Amino acid sequence: MATVNIQNIQKHYGAVKVIHGIDIDIADGEFVVLVGPSGCGKSTLLRMIAGLEEVSGGEIHIGSREVSNMPARDRDIAMVFQNYALYPHMTVADNMGFALKLKKVPAAEIQAKVKRAASILGLEALLDRYPKQLSGGQRQRVAMGRAIVRDPQVFLFDEPLSNLDAKLRVQMRGEIKTMHQRIGTTTIYVTHDQVEAMTMADKIVVLHGGFIEQIGAPLELYDRPANIFVAGFIGSPAMNFIDGWVEEGVFRTTKGLILPLPQAVAEKMGGRDLVYGIRPEHIRASTQGIEGRVTLVEGTGSEIFTRLDAHGEDIACLFRERFDVRFGDTVFIEIDPSKVHLFDKQTGRRI
Amino acid sequence: MASVSIENSVANAKQKRSKPSRLAPNYWPFVLPALLVVSAVIVFPWVFTLWMSVNSWTLGQPRTFIGFANYVRLAQDMRFWESLWHTATYTALSVVLPLFFGTLAALIFDAKFPFRGLLRGVFVMPMMATPVAVALVWTMMFHPQLGVLNYLLSFLGIGPQEWIYNQFTVIPSLVLVETWQWTPLVMLIVLGGLAAVPREPYESAEIDGANAWQKFRYLTMPMIAPFLMIAVIIRSIDAIKSFDIIYAMTQGGPGTASETINIYLYNTAFAYYDIGYGSAMAVVFFFIIIALSFVLLMVRQRANWSDMETK
Repeated sequence: MATVNIQNIQKHYGAVKVIHGIDIDIADGEFVVLVGPSGCGKSTLLRMIAGLEEVSGGEIHIGSREVSNMPARDRDIAMVFQNYALYPHMTVADNMGFALKLKKVPAAEIQAKVKRAASILGLEALLDRYPKQLSGGQRQRVAMGRAIVRDPQVFLFDEPLSNLDAKLRVQMRGEIKTMHQRIGTTTIYVTHDQVEAMTMADKIVVLHGGFIEQIGAPLELYDRPANIFVAGFIGSPAMNFIDGWVEEGVFRTTKGLILPLPQAVAEKMGGRDLVYGIRPEHIRASTQGIEGRVTLVEGTGSEIFTRLDAHGEDIACLFRERFDVRFGDTVFIEIDPSKVHLFDKQTGRRI
Repeated sequence: MASVSIENSVANAKQKRSKPSRLAPNYWPFVLPALLVVSAVIVFPWVFTLWMSVNSWTLGQPRTFIGFANYVRLAQDMRFWESLWHTATYTALSVVLPLFFGTLAALIFDAKFPFRGLLRGVFVMPMMATPVAVALVWTMMFHPQLGVLNYLLSFLGIGPQEWIYNQFTVIPSLVLVETWQWTPLVMLIVLGGLAAVPREPYESAEIDGANAWQKFRYLTMPMIAPFLMIAVIIRSIDAIKSFDIIYAMTQGGPGTASETINIYLYNTAFAYYDIGYGSAMAVVFFFIIIALSFVLLMVRQRANWSDMETK
């Protein structure tokens, strides 16, 4: 186990800059998730930490060692790839023991370590099989087993669950988290799925366009997003954003919709152009309040997701309670003012 | 009880009648041309050779049935055993050398460098040449007095060699020609294999601590093994039945130093007109090739990691 410090790390391909000087401090044993949309540089950053991609500027420290220009094999890290990257011609046992074989570890010791990792991951019965004879989930476990056997200082995961179906993804998510809690190795995990990030991370790093948008604990990002990007990216369904301004203690939109605000905020923000943010799950159905016409209804059993047209503004709502609502119905909603987020329209930053 | 069984059989007969037979006459027009061609060019010559091998038949003389006498004669014929040894040596060298150089060339051409496409094209050219033309050119190059090879060797301070004109160097010299012509084929096969090798395991191996040699030894070689096996099979079958180059360059000489089974059986059948004995030789040679093919296919099966199916 070790700390990982990333200082002003940069990456460019010719004139194209994809990572613009990033700083991240990762504590010993921490589970950090790098999250962001496609092309934000999260996988590139992970590959630079792994040593599979050259660093254009800045420094990476693993423990007390500066590893920025060190070959991958000397960094003492283990990586789980999106497509598993197993050795197709080796059995599960050989796949898992390959790194130790290269280090010339005695065969008996390799066997013992492979067995231990296999028992952690429930792979004992599959040790003699080839990757082609395994299901996606089993292959993923072998890839994790290969990492565990190494007993590295840092685990790196590059979108490891992307190729699995939804059910298996939830299961494997739990298994990875359990494994981390059991082994306690510092882990850096890349995903574009904010649910994975929220459920697994001790700390989330939100990346966008090669910049860090925010670093924080999952609930911190959810409760106090630093800007519109983070507010929209974290949380599912995504937060509602409505343009307008504060006037006479309420938020008014150009289309004439009036939305409630916390008293303290309303007094300070008069006259500024703002973006009003409210999460769909913080909107309640009511018998009075804001009137809206239902334009979409999606029921999942545990909740009802609807979209409303309120004075021309599209508002997404997530209701936990069950009630009969159909396309075209008129409903009333209430917004809890304490859950409202306000953002500066020019900078997008939280107010 | 009896009536039941009669009813059953009647029902079965009806079922059989209603189901179109695989050999129904309306299918014959489609099968017949292929059947005729196969019978004429494969089955008939085969059966004829088999029949000839149990006969004593010298062209121009009457044929007599002699049973296995030709085979007994073959077992005692030292010249046949010698030609078998020449064939084995020639085949082994003509497989191993193109395989080694072809793999090496494939590894080189798999890397990216300027003019790679052009050089690849130049490299495969020998493969496109006619064997007899190749033989003639190499015969001139091997000439002890006028040949370019001895001239080139003189620059290295090595004296003139007799190449195909010496009983000890004739087979290696012929193998040199074979290697020159067929290394490109192996290169193309292995290059295809290298292109099919997944790249991700190399990143895993990099992280697992493998150096360049270990990546080649533990990843590249096993992953291209099925392709190498295909090259071995093609080369083995090609080399064992090689005739044109040897016949055009040495005709089995000097003496019988480069006489392979093919040359010996050709001479027996078409120079000495001993068709029966030549046929027996052809039959034995055929079984040797079949046995070799089986061995190679079995080895290939073992090398083929990509065929592992879900159990």
